[in-house]
Amino acid sequence: MKNMKLKIMVIICIPVLVFGLSLVAGPKMINPFSADAISREILFSIRAPRSLVALLMGMALGASGTVLQGILKNPLADPYILGISSGASLAAALGIMAGAAFLGTFTIPLLAFIGALITGSIVGIMGWKRGGLWPERLLLAGVGLSFLFSALLMLFMSISNDEGLRRAMLWIFGDLSMSEWTKIPYGLVFVGVGILMALSRAKALNALILGDEFAHSLGFSPHRERFILFVSVGLLTAASVSLGGMIGFIGLLVPHIIRFFIGSDSRLLIPCSALIGGALLCVADMISKSVLPPMELPAGIVTAIIGSPYFLYLLRRKNVLSI
Amino acid sequence: MSSASDQRILELRSVSFSYTRQRSLIRGLSLSVGEGEFIGLLGANGSGKSTILKLGSGILRPSEGDILLWSKPLHTYHNRDRAKLISYLPQTLDIAVPFTVRELVGMGLYPYDIPPAMSVDSALEMVGLEGMASAYLTDLSGGEKRRTFIAMTLVQGAGLLMLDEPLANLDIKYQIELVRLLKTLRNEKNISIIMALHDINVALQFSKVMLVKDGAMLGIGRPEDILTDSLIKDAFDVRVNIVRQADGGSYIHYGDNA
Repeated sequence: MKNMKLKIMVIICIPVLVFGLSLVAGPKMINPFSADAISREILFSIRAPRSLVALLMGMALGASGTVLQGILKNPLADPYILGISSGASLAAALGIMAGAAFLGTFTIPLLAFIGALITGSIVGIMGWKRGGLWPERLLLAGVGLSFLFSALLMLFMSISNDEGLRRAMLWIFGDLSMSEWTKIPYGLVFVGVGILMALSRAKALNALILGDEFAHSLGFSPHRERFILFVSVGLLTAASVSLGGMIGFIGLLVPHIIRFFIGSDSRLLIPCSALIGGALLCVADMISKSVLPPMELPAGIVTAIIGSPYFLYLLRRKNVLSI
Repeated sequence: MSSASDQRILELRSVSFSYTRQRSLIRGLSLSVGEGEFIGLLGANGSGKSTILKLGSGILRPSEGDILLWSKPLHTYHNRDRAKLISYLPQTLDIAVPFTVRELVGMGLYPYDIPPAMSVDSALEMVGLEGMASAYLTDLSGGEKRRTFIAMTLVQGAGLLMLDEPLANLDIKYQIELVRLLKTLRNEKNISIIMALHDINVALQFSKVMLVKDGAMLGIGRPEDILTDSLIKDAFDVRVNIVRQADGGSYIHYGDNA
């Protein structure tokens, strides 16, 4: 038990340290105590919002991956499996092709967010039968929609020679370079609400993982709980996609990595996956802009390159069949 | 009738159930379960055993008839209040997530704001799994897994356990251990238990059995009255001999059918 408290303390400290480090480190080291005006500008206007966006986005992915693997009872589920990100990309692409720029740089994220919410609702409606959401239906509806939207997106991309569209597509596949302070408040609200919703239903999620009949026997209404959790996943995924496009690995594997250390109780797993997901994306982003300046690698590639071997190592060393 | 059944916990009154209009799974079934009763529920595959347990624990709602828990309609209970009174364990316990024994047993506390009397540790001791608290569920044998879930229901504190084929896929040693454990619980905590089973030899050891066929009751009572050659022929469509021994025990003999 004491050991567990220590582990949780460490997990809380990691994102804080990483955030601090991501402010000073980068293509150029900045000492915040002796920074000149330009450095201070870089620190405050570029690095701070970008690191915060990375944290929020990683948190959303870590938490929603944990919840989704639970409600779908599928260890391979990641937040993008429900087609929400494809819907977000498609909406953003359509908006750009229609020449939408009504909110400046905020236009694409907003369109992506709306597209994500609409897609999430369609998946929810299709997964609904006999008074509730059914895991298999959700999964299949998500995969089906995902294919459809990706195909449509490819179609638009192949017939369009719009430079803006190309840029937008690059962003959709994971890019944090457009992070600004304006994104922080709404990111904070949706990620915060999503995580709190999931946390408030964490016991129910544990029970749902055992099965609907267990959940019922333990005093939960399986359909109601799954619906609330699904809404939280939808909010978190939509928020993360609109903050910085799609970043692979975190939503899929961070929950498994955390499970190795603190067990499978969702009450701990959700917040810890969120914290480590945030920290990991923050580190990945720091690396992605530092290794080959001024070029930036997509952060999603870096998360996968750091994370996957570590995950495989854990899988061998711990000899635990996770999920 | 034994004196134990004077206080009725659960009552099914002319209950029918069907998923579709064409075919009824349960037809006009009545049953009452008294405090401290231990009932073995027998019937052929598809006879409605599982459906009866799901109806009785409120997972399914009857199409017709009433189900009363402590004389109050079952569906009027709040989920959490009902969970303090009835606990249901399905037949398959394939949980893919590696919860530890302690995590799983602790889930029995979920219906409560203030933890009830039985702690996780004392529940584990009762089922003989003390020292296994940190083991992963995925590493346990079938028998240990069953006992872990029984410990969860003990923590949950429900006075009525509905167990769907708890002996399925268990070695004979674990079967005997589990039945012994359940009898101990019944005796020490006055818990009522209804369990579906399909081994007639095991059912012969019960004090009360219930035989169902096509969703209707064939009979309920002492095994010597219910598990007769003719009723078994009726329920399972197979001819057997129940051999009564001089010491009062009995067993099933398959005769020429085996």
